Amino acid sequence: MIRRGILFGGTLLSVLASSATAQRAGRGASGRTAPRFEVDLLWPQPMPNRWILGSATGVAVDQSDHVFVVHLTDSFTPRTEIGLATNPVTGECCAPAPNVLEFDPAGTLVGQWGGPGQVSHWPEQNAGLAIDDAGNVWIGGSGGADSRILKLTHDGKLIAEFGTATPVLSGRGAGRSEDTAYAGVSPGRGGRGAGRGRGGRAEVPALPANSNSMDSFGGPAGFSFDAKANEAYVADGYRNHRVAVIDMTTGAIKRYWGAYGGKPNDADTAKYEPGGAFPKQFGAPVMCAKLARDGLLYVCDTQNDRIQVFRKDGSFVKEKTVAPATRGTGSVWDIAFSRDLQQKYVYVADGMNMKVHVLDRQSLDELTSFGDGGRQPGEFYAVHSIATDSKGNIYTVETYEGKRVQKFVYKGLGPIAKKNEGVLWPAAPRTKP
Amino acid sequence: MTRARKLGVVVALAAAIVALGLGQAALGAAARTHAVTAPRFEVDPMWPKPLPNHWVLGNVIGVGVDSKDHIFIVHRNDTFDARHEIGAAANPPISECCVPAPPVIEFDQAGNVVNAWGGPGHGYDWPSSNHGISLDDKDNVWIGGNGTCPPPGTPGCPAGTIDSFILKFTHDGKFLMEIGTPHETVNSNSTTHFGRVAKISFDVKANEAFIADGYGNKRVAVIDMDNGKIKRFWGAYGHVPSDSNLGPYDPNAPLAQQFRNPVHCAEPTPDGLVYVCDRVNDRIQVFRKSGEFVREKIIKPLTRGDGSVWDIAFSRDPQQKYIFLADGKNERVYVLDRQSLDLLTEFGDGGRQPGEFFAVHSIATDSKGNIYTAETYEGKRIQKFVYKGMSTVDSIQGVVWPKR
Repeated sequence: MIRRGILFGGTLLSVLASSATAQRAGRGASGRTAPRFEVDLLWPQPMPNRWILGSATGVAVDQSDHVFVVHLTDSFTPRTEIGLATNPVTGECCAPAPNVLEFDPAGTLVGQWGGPGQVSHWPEQNAGLAIDDAGNVWIGGSGGADSRILKLTHDGKLIAEFGTATPVLSGRGAGRSEDTAYAGVSPGRGGRGAGRGRGGRAEVPALPANSNSMDSFGGPAGFSFDAKANEAYVADGYRNHRVAVIDMTTGAIKRYWGAYGGKPNDADTAKYEPGGAFPKQFGAPVMCAKLARDGLLYVCDTQNDRIQVFRKDGSFVKEKTVAPATRGTGSVWDIAFSRDLQQKYVYVADGMNMKVHVLDRQSLDELTSFGDGGRQPGEFYAVHSIATDSKGNIYTVETYEGKRVQKFVYKGLGPIAKKNEGVLWPAAPRTKP
Repeated sequence: MTRARKLGVVVALAAAIVALGLGQAALGAAARTHAVTAPRFEVDPMWPKPLPNHWVLGNVIGVGVDSKDHIFIVHRNDTFDARHEIGAAANPPISECCVPAPPVIEFDQAGNVVNAWGGPGHGYDWPSSNHGISLDDKDNVWIGGNGTCPPPGTPGCPAGTIDSFILKFTHDGKFLMEIGTPHETVNSNSTTHFGRVAKISFDVKANEAFIADGYGNKRVAVIDMDNGKIKRFWGAYGHVPSDSNLGPYDPNAPLAQQFRNPVHCAEPTPDGLVYVCDRVNDRIQVFRKSGEFVREKIIKPLTRGDGSVWDIAFSRDPQQKYIFLADGKNERVYVLDRQSLDLLTEFGDGGRQPGEFFAVHSIATDSKGNIYTAETYEGKRIQKFVYKGMSTVDSIQGVVWPKR
């Protein structure tokens, strides 16, 4: 465990400190250790041009540990939030930042691009950004009519669009799914709605699910890649109830499957109830499909509070619930793997319970969790997506009115103190004796 | 590149240039930065401590400091998205987080919650939309309200009426007094009720409270702190207030001869002046305590919509040499020289990180000179800015983070 800690990539100092702590504490009450994190209070740097972030719906890290964020640039209330971008201008602040933002490891904004003005057929609601081994950027969409995947260069030039615009409308049933990308309409206070509008976005009637389509997607939500096989795994999606595997060059759908590896059935809309039977289908959205190095695929069945694990061919391996009492949108929004060779840990972003769960990847047992609801550093409002960098740091983005990207600095392995670590602030500076 | 795409780029570029041009025009002199001597502040990113019980804050709509430097906030604990923000308060609970915190919260200097109270109770009306919190010399707590009726499901709130009263509680939330007939209508010349009060401040020597009145009325009202009787009131420039509709603020129009709604603060000073936030008219008006007009200062006059002058607090030196002005539209705090009303420097910017703002609504100082700010709309935060002494700073400081 201690040797593995060194491989894990923390600084020598923190590893020594944590292993010493682990030995003293007998590895905690549970006898187990887990990666430890602290929120970086001052990451990223404030953006230039009085830009602000909208509901953030995707995060990924490239080979140089640059952090890419995609957000909804129309998720603002014009009257209260973006006075610099209205006509007439009503104030000095603020203006929506471009759709895709690239931060360097220091948190400085070093790139920005995207949006319908720059790329035609930009999704109605961009969501689920991923970066492949060649450094290309993949973007899906959660909009009611989003049925395509965009593949772009690192700096935003369109390489390919996969999926037809108007799918064959043969599916039935599911209709509009839970909109995890943006639903920041507070019924709250009698329609006054100050600061909580939908940014003037028109409600677009959703296309029906079509989980057996061979040429379109149903709100693609997330991607991961098998570079050797030149295959991308698509979490499909906000309307569909499947995983689709496509050729990374042509976009052709090679195979797909539903929950337990079966054929998806959009007519079966059985919903998960805590304590009840597991639905035989994925709910909508299917928000992630993440391929581990050992060939196992981890799928976020968000609304059903579960992760399902498959082999690359779609054969079902196992499932595990996370926070199974969760209703509403569900608990499993996105996952990222730890960056050790074995990818020993799974980090689950849970936008309903406002926390990140830390699981052992082999057993899928929950070791601990961190975070809580709120607007301060290390707190969350609807943590939507999660990614790790080569040093083991975690990045999270928040949708709805969270509208943030946060960094959690990897602090080495340590004993598990609590089932829920709460808000992970750095220790207050100690006065030297 | 297709023709359509080219056109798209051109249109987007043109829009960007126009927006930038307008934005820079709006920035005006503020675009040029220079060094000045002024009090310097740094945000404390770890203040307050995380709230207990999975509590979350709604629109934070008032902040005050008591004699022991405890910080009081009032927030609207019904301003949540039930499906995504307060799942633990649903029946049955749909998630582990979160639960609305009680409307009034008291924090100690370290940022711990030491008390929480408020909301409807026996013997008094609670505003349909609480607004503003202030502590007097006896550490009693005064709360206004800017609601209109009926908000969904509020009993005793007849349609067409407004929050027309003020509440006074002990430090720990025991009800003391309700001032003003409740559930009345707008009338800036009323001597029996108020019109959606924004904030209350005190001249303890004279035993008088100054009422920023308000979101419905267009006046400053002065009341006796013990019996609540309205002693005098006045409108902009000391005029008799008028409730005629002035329409939206236009930067190119002559200066309005009446306040616009809301009159958002009315702050007396020991040297006999009262500073009034005429929020949407982008100005501070200064009066003598009798209501005699002294002068005015226009702040960022191109600001439309919610306006630039939201709330002010004074520095805690005996002369109250500086004014700290919260501008929830431009997402800044301004530091003004109180005598000249010159704008010395500004800090903050829009955003959700520490030291950034979304609709910074209220501002207060403690005895050590630290600043506290509260954010409404979806800001839903309280922040602390630590006083770092007098210093040479830029006239536009941006986000004031501590040094790494």
